[in-house]
Order: sequence, then structure tokens, then C-alpha cells
Amino acid sequence: MEELLEILENLKPGVDFPAQTDLIEDHILDSMSVVMLVGELNDAFDIEITPVDVVPENFKTVDAIYAMIQRLSDD
Amino acid sequence: MAYSSIVYLLPFLGAVVLLYNGMPKKYRWWVLLLASYIFYWLNSPTTLIFLLLSTVAVYLAGIFLNKIQDGFDLSKKALDKEGKKQLRKIVGWQKKAVCACTLLFIFGLLAFLKYYPFVSENINQLLKMIHLESTLPQLKLILPLGISYYTLQAAGYIIDVYRGKYRADPHLGKVALFLSFFPQIVEGPIARFDQTAGQLMEGKRSTYQNLTWGAQLILWGLFKKMVIADRANPFVAEVFNNYTEQSGAVLIMGGILFTVQIYMEFSGCMDIVAGSAQMLGIDLPKNFARPFFATSVNDFWRRWHITLGAWLRDYVFYSVSLSKGFAKLSKKAKEKLSPFLGALIPSAAALFCVWICNGIWHGAGWKYLAYGMYYYLIMLLGMLLEPLFARCATAMRLNRDGGAFRVVRILRTCLLVVGGMTLFRAESLGAFGGIVSKVFTDLSPQQFYDGTLLHLGIDGWDFIAIAAGCVVVLIVSILQEKGFCMRKKIAECNIVLRWSIYLSLILAVVIFGAYGPGYDQVAFIYGQF
Repeated sequence: MEELLEILENLKPGVDFPAQTDLIEDHILDSMSVVMLVGELNDAFDIEITPVDVVPENFKTVDAIYAMIQRLSDD
Repeated sequence: MAYSSIVYLLPFLGAVVLLYNGMPKKYRWWVLLLASYIFYWLNSPTTLIFLLLSTVAVYLAGIFLNKIQDGFDLSKKALDKEGKKQLRKIVGWQKKAVCACTLLFIFGLLAFLKYYPFVSENINQLLKMIHLESTLPQLKLILPLGISYYTLQAAGYIIDVYRGKYRADPHLGKVALFLSFFPQIVEGPIARFDQTAGQLMEGKRSTYQNLTWGAQLILWGLFKKMVIADRANPFVAEVFNNYTEQSGAVLIMGGILFTVQIYMEFSGCMDIVAGSAQMLGIDLPKNFARPFFATSVNDFWRRWHITLGAWLRDYVFYSVSLSKGFAKLSKKAKEKLSPFLGALIPSAAALFCVWICNGIWHGAGWKYLAYGMYYYLIMLLGMLLEPLFARCATAMRLNRDGGAFRVVRILRTCLLVVGGMTLFRAESLGAFGGIVSKVFTDLSPQQFYDGTLLHLGIDGWDFIAIAAGCVVVLIVSILQEKGFCMRKKIAECNIVLRWSIYLSLILAVVIFGAYGPGYDQVAFIYGQF
């Protein structure tokens, strides 16, 4: 979780990510930043996030992103 | 049968609503399917075959993908880990081949019918330049009604099945209804199978709220289309058709009024479409969210033609930017150039594909490609300069989220959008160049107020009607932007106030709507794509 938070804070400095309830609806993560984030996550956690995984439910909150990472790591 | 015509609104939609609700629940979707095919037949009988071909193609491909997946699920149980991996790879290739062939077929139909005349004309010119005698034949092709919309829906359906988002529907009629649903077929919105198919098949009875809210939305759409868009049309046509005779001031006004026209017309059409579907108890995806409150061009495209943007994002942008090739390229750029460029390259490349697709989706012509590139360059520059903007704002102690800065950003976005719309409306890329040149070399600013504008297809009363209509739409938009649900609030009013509002809108359409002698019925602009 700490590594994820570090990646997110590097991507969007100054955002209090754990406090956010909807990163997509609040336009904190747009499609550009999602692509950048996916690249970072793939490298950092050795997973493969595909277009099928790129849905708002998986990027809505820090917890949702973390759950997706764990699910893909288990696959 | 235009959506704003009496024939559509009364006999057709009225009969469909009555028949739909009069049928037993399990047969209601048949009424929708029949109505959709009758609607298509009445509007474009000769091109119905292409809709049928696309429908059958994605239906069969979907069934085939289901079979491949089922075969894999059955066989994998008896395999060890390595065996499963091998089989998954083979099945992956089989599914990819089915999906690719289907996409090639449906996009091939679209490409041939929509782009052949443009491509053959350009190839022939090229052959002439290099003094070659042979030429490609010039074919007069009819563009099937709604092909650009239903092809994207069909492609989205088959890609989703391929990706395993949901299983293909085993019933041909249901796939046919999803692709042909009559309110959507002409101008969208471009729906996904999991957004509308369930509702279309459910056969839910129309409630009182469905009927009244749907009718209100239709009335609101008619107001936007007939009072504002159609009234602005003669001015826009006069200015753009004779742009060489106009001054820069008149051309700027033409660009602004065309932007107003296309917004009122397209969003008005979407209101009529969504209202028609709502009367049948079906909620269609939203296509507009007050785009002129956008603070950037990116934000504008999240609010304008939302379903096209979302389609391109999900099936083009992510497919390209998250592909293995770009992941490797990005990694190399990160190591050898800079982390910023490493992150930027896949997005910039994917965005390029998105805007090429967006441009050519709108039409076959160089100006449409230029239209796509116009927005691509603005967005790319925004991405490249964002770190610089952020540093400048910090140095100048500017609050980028403050009210004043927000207004400046909204105005800047509107200016860029008017520029894009002017390119979109210009007869050709050369004509757009002529318009831009006129703005900078022959502005004649006095023509904004010396009465010249009142002699270009419309008079002062028309301008007053357009301005008053825009003020009404602006007030409603501000309230909606603040989260106010207009129809809910109207429903809570007492009967006198409620009917006063309805009658005012009906009277506004009847009295101020552009129809009758002197006005031709204006075809929906987005219906031509």
C-alpha cells in the first residue's frame, strides 16, 4: 500500500489520496494519468493491467487500485 | 422522418408507446424491434441490407467466441498448469482472429461506403500527377443511415465479448434490437450492450413519470432545435457559403452562431432521443453535460458527444497506450530520456490515434482530418506545457481553482472550440484558410454593430429570439451544473405553475420556432455522419 501511495503522490503531487472517495468522478485521475499510473504499477508490482481492467471501479479509490493489484498478482 | 417532425412525434412514437404497453411483457421487445426496422425502412429502405449484414456478422462472431471460450473452460479442467498455459495461448489467438475478422468486415463496410469516393478521388489525382493513365472508378454510393453509429456499437459489442466483459447474446433478435433501436439509430448516443440491451429486453411498462418526463425532454429538445438552432441556420449558411464576400467580423459571428447552432441541434436531438426512449421506460447513456462550462479542451470533450469520446477512450486510447509495444517503448524512454517523456510517449501516441479516428469518423475529407489534428495539437501542447503552467501559477501565486481563473479558462476553451467548429463548418480546408486570413486581414470590427449582421439571412427579431433562447438554456444549464434536477423540481410545483411552464415552452416552440414559409426543414447535422 505504501508503494502504491508513493506512486500516486509522484504522479499527482499534493493530492491527499487516502481521503479521496472518487478519483475518476472528481477528475483527479483522467485517462492520461491512468495510462501513466498503469505503466508505473505494471513495473512496480510486476503485473499486467490490460484495457479490460481499466474501468472506473478499479481506479475509484486507493483501496480499489490496491485490490486490483492484489487480484492481478494472484492470477 | 426527422425526430423533430410531427410524423415521428405523434403517429409513430405515439403508436409505438401504445403498442409497447398494450403487449404482454415478454413480447414488448418484439414491438421495439419491429418499430426500429420500420423506422429504418421508412428512412433508408435501400441501405437496410448493410444494417442486417453487420448485425448477423457480430451475432455469429459472438456465438463463435462463446463456443471457443466454453471449449477452453471444459478442456482446461483436465490439464496441468503448463498445458493450461499452452491452451490459453491457442484460444487467445483463435479469439483474436475471430474478433479481428469481424471488425475488418464491419469497418470494411463502413470504410468502403463512407470513404471510397474520397480515397479514390485522391488516388486518381495522385495518378494524374505522376502521369499514369489508369484511374479508380468513381462510384456513387449511398451512405446507410446511422452506419457510423451502429458500426461503433457493433464493434464495441464484439470487442467486449472478446475481452470477456460479458457473454455474447444467443438470440439474434436481441442483438438486432440493440443495434437498431429507433431513437438511437440516426445520431446515437453510442451505447454499450451492457448499458441498454437489458433494458430493451426487459419490457418494463412505461410509468406516468416515464411518460411525462420523456415528453418534457422531447419538448426541451424541440425548443433548442427549432427556436435556436434552426433560426440561426440561414445566417450560418449565408456566411459560410459566401465567405469570400464577408468581413472578418461577420465570419467570427458566423463561427460563434454555428457553434451555438450545432450545440443546440445535437444536444436538442439527444433530448428528443432520450425523451422518446424514456417514454418506453429506457434510459439511454448521456451524450452532453453542459460542454460550454468546460475549463479545458480535455474537459470539453468529456462533456461533448460523451459516448463517442468514451468509445474512443475504451477501444482506441487504452488499446494503443496499454499495448505491449508501447509499454516497452515507454520503459526505454524512461531509462534513456526522462521519466516525464517515458510517461508521455504512450499517451501522446494513443491520443494521436484517437484524434485521427475522431476526425475521419466525422467525415471523409481533409478538413475532418485537420479537425482531429487541431484538437490533438491543443491537447498535446497542454500535456507538454502543463509542468510549465504549474510552475508559472506557483510563481505568480495564482489560485488555479479560483473563480476568476475558472472564468478565464472557460472563455479560453470556448474560443478554442469556436475555432474548431469554424474549421468543421468550412466548406473545405482551403475555405477555412480563407476565413482565418480574412479575420486577420479584413476584420472590419464596426460590422459587429453597424447593422451588417441583420442582413445576412436573418433579421433583428431572429437575433432577439436566438439570444432569448440562449439565455433560457444558459439559466437551465447553470442550475443543472449546480446539481438541480429541473424535471424533478417542475414535478413538485403546483398544477398551475407546472402547466404554465409546459405551455410557455409549447408556445415558444409554436411562436418562435423556425418553420413554415421562408424556412426549410433543417436536417440534423450529426445525422449526416
